[in-house]
Amino acid sequence: MLRRLTLCMLLGLLNGAPSHAAEPVAVVASFSIVGDIVRNIGGDHVSVDTLVGPEEDAHVFDPAPRDAARIAAAKLVVMNGLGFEGWMDRLMKASGGMPKVAIASEGVISHSATIDGHESMDPHAWQDVSNVRIYARNIADALIQIDPEHDGLYRANLARFDGELIALDHDIRSAISAIPAERRKIVTTHDAFGYFARAYGIEMIAPQGISTEAEASAKDVARIIRQVKAEKIPAVFLENISDPRLVETIAAESGARIGGKLYSDALSREKEPAGTYIAMMQSNIRELTKALMP
Amino acid sequence: MINLFDLLIMPFADFAFMRRALIGSIALSIGACPIGVFLMLRRMSLVGDAMAHAILPGAALGYLFAGLSLGFMTAGGLIAGFIVALLAGLVTRITILKEDAALASFYLISLAGGVVLVSLRGSNVDVLHVLFGSVLALDDHTLLLLAIAASVSLLSLAVLFRPLVLECVDPSFLRTVSNSGSLSHYGFLALVVLNLVAGFHALGTLLSVGLMMVPAFAARFWSSTLDGMILFATLIGVLSSSLGIVISYHAGTPTGPTIILSAGAFYLLSILFGQKNGLILRLLPRKHLVA
Amino acid sequence: MTKPRASFVQLKDVTLGYDRHPAVHHVSGCFEAGSLTAVIGPNGAGKSTLLKAIAGTLKPLDGTIVMGTDSPRLAYLPQLAELDRDFPISVEDLVGTGFWRKIGSFRRYSSNDRLLIDETLEKVGLVGFNKRLLGTLSGGQLQRVLFARLMVQDAEIILIDEPFAAIDTKTVSDLIGLVQHWHHEGRTIIAVLHDMSLVAEFFPDCLLLARECVAWGATSHILTPDHLAKARTMIEANDPHADTCERAA
Repeated sequence: MLRRLTLCMLLGLLNGAPSHAAEPVAVVASFSIVGDIVRNIGGDHVSVDTLVGPEEDAHVFDPAPRDAARIAAAKLVVMNGLGFEGWMDRLMKASGGMPKVAIASEGVISHSATIDGHESMDPHAWQDVSNVRIYARNIADALIQIDPEHDGLYRANLARFDGELIALDHDIRSAISAIPAERRKIVTTHDAFGYFARAYGIEMIAPQGISTEAEASAKDVARIIRQVKAEKIPAVFLENISDPRLVETIAAESGARIGGKLYSDALSREKEPAGTYIAMMQSNIRELTKALMP
Repeated sequence: MINLFDLLIMPFADFAFMRRALIGSIALSIGACPIGVFLMLRRMSLVGDAMAHAILPGAALGYLFAGLSLGFMTAGGLIAGFIVALLAGLVTRITILKEDAALASFYLISLAGGVVLVSLRGSNVDVLHVLFGSVLALDDHTLLLLAIAASVSLLSLAVLFRPLVLECVDPSFLRTVSNSGSLSHYGFLALVVLNLVAGFHALGTLLSVGLMMVPAFAARFWSSTLDGMILFATLIGVLSSSLGIVISYHAGTPTGPTIILSAGAFYLLSILFGQKNGLILRLLPRKHLVA
Repeated sequence: MTKPRASFVQLKDVTLGYDRHPAVHHVSGCFEAGSLTAVIGPNGAGKSTLLKAIAGTLKPLDGTIVMGTDSPRLAYLPQLAELDRDFPISVEDLVGTGFWRKIGSFRRYSSNDRLLIDETLEKVGLVGFNKRLLGTLSGGQLQRVLFARLMVQDAEIILIDEPFAAIDTKTVSDLIGLVQHWHHEGRTIIAVLHDMSLVAEFFPDCLLLARECVAWGATSHILTPDHLAKARTMIEANDPHADTCERAA
């Protein structure tokens, strides 16, 4: 009788195991870029739910009860860290669930910057491709920990993705080296490119005075024109300024080109041009090259 | 030592956008300030504001249709303004409603309609922002538009002058001697719309009403003849624009509102020190004349 | 001044009103060419309305108004001028608007025109008032200016509505003198008046109107107690329950 019981249990286990293996791991990613990396590592074996979707702003994200429910139902939560998700603590408490939390930026060397007017940790580490290699490794480790069944799969995906990242980094560097050194600077209202600037040697200059919200004054416009002329900045990326006519005036009088759209902390909704992390970085370097090449 | 030349001239010498801002707002003043004098004398000072609200949706529609297109936004604003003026006039003539109610009714409907239409196409925050205009961003085409609008306005005013004046002073007499009464009335409203639409590219509709009206109010205190008021109003308009741009350059304040505030300052000074009916003059005793 | 062509004004069963209520009801008669007629009657009798219709600013509800010539030169001085006295216009510019028929919106005043304005101002007793602004004039002075404009219009038919209300006696007597002068020039004059003594003294013809024509003819025959009493019995207010009028022409 004991032998029959054991046989039943063994059969039950065997029956249970395949269905368990077929179900994808529920992962909640804090925002679109992290979500894309998780998909790259997890492949079909993860189902990723993103809290802050493409073209949404993580700074103004206001979690809803439904988001707490998604977290409660998840096995793993992946967030950027470095203070990017100010709302995450509150959300975790609200969800009550106990999924594992992985911080993608663990181990990344960070720096401080002036964000929104005050000094704090600059969280936009993904703008340096080598940091994203660390992100990928951290995420792979987390996935392996909660789903050791697919250890091999995750490692294989990591290796492949890592290769793509290395190639991407190489592309970026060669594109930039093609730009004459004195032209490697832009004016941008984004404060999100600190890591990019340090890693790849493009100087990111904040426009003096011009705010995105308020109406412009002649003083501001004069200042920025003087700045661009004096420092011979080849291009201005001022898409955040509400009046595009003002940007044209500044460009026309200072002789700078008007740069295209740069993606700083969200992917685009459509696949083109920045539907994945790699596409996003490629789009950015394309726009930079277009603007800065003589 | 503060060099007046550096303060007042250098900004324009150094920057092209400053020169264009100056030229654009001078053109605007030349066209709009005389119209403002007439509006004031006909007790239609608030009509400018009402028409500005009527124009806004038309320009917004133009923007939604074709983006920041000078042509479409101008056309949209003009059409909306003319339609409102016409309908208001019609209602005044054939129904019991008086002019003020008729105009208010249509500009309110126009404004509400505009808000709904804009919201159907998405975020209205951007549109409103764009409609603020920027005197610092006047390109060649816009400058040309402003110059043309000012010229057309002046010429039309010269043509309409006599019937317009008579329509203000003694409309029943005009009705008995001429049929041009309603033509000059509608023509005048059309000029109001034209100047507001031109102004909205530089200052946005709401502020362009300020440039049209406030210098006229100030001029009241410097002259008692129609010609004199028109001259003073235009002069004050030009001075306010220049001063406003210069102050915005040195103090960093938004340019459009600074221009209107400068006009406001001239207005307050005029109330106090104006040579006709100024307050100080009335308070200071002066010897009366022999006859 | 050109000799005015004689011009009569004939009323053929004229009914005038606002909102279908008649203010002037089935009035027929004729202001002969060159006549000087006073239109009198109680309040609300339709006197101003009649003048408005003759001037052409009010369309008759019924009946027709026929003038002696096809397009007579007509001058109309309404009662409460919708005149904006605060508007910065000078005396001579306002008088100059009387030349409208001649020069329209664009043509310049000729030097003759300017001379005429000066002469006319002299005739109304306003020498030297050329540059004065309307707002600085007294009631009497303003009325003289309006009379000056009338004169400059050189009209064949002159309509004046209560021109002497609240005006000083000196001005009244001066302006009555002008009216008589126009009468001698052969112009047709129709004046709405309240002052019976003026009517009796200066106006040969009289129309007593009390919504309907009470009497029309030589003044001495019109100003009788019977007629005046009859006029006073007229109802002033509109009758909200009035039926449509079926009276034939």
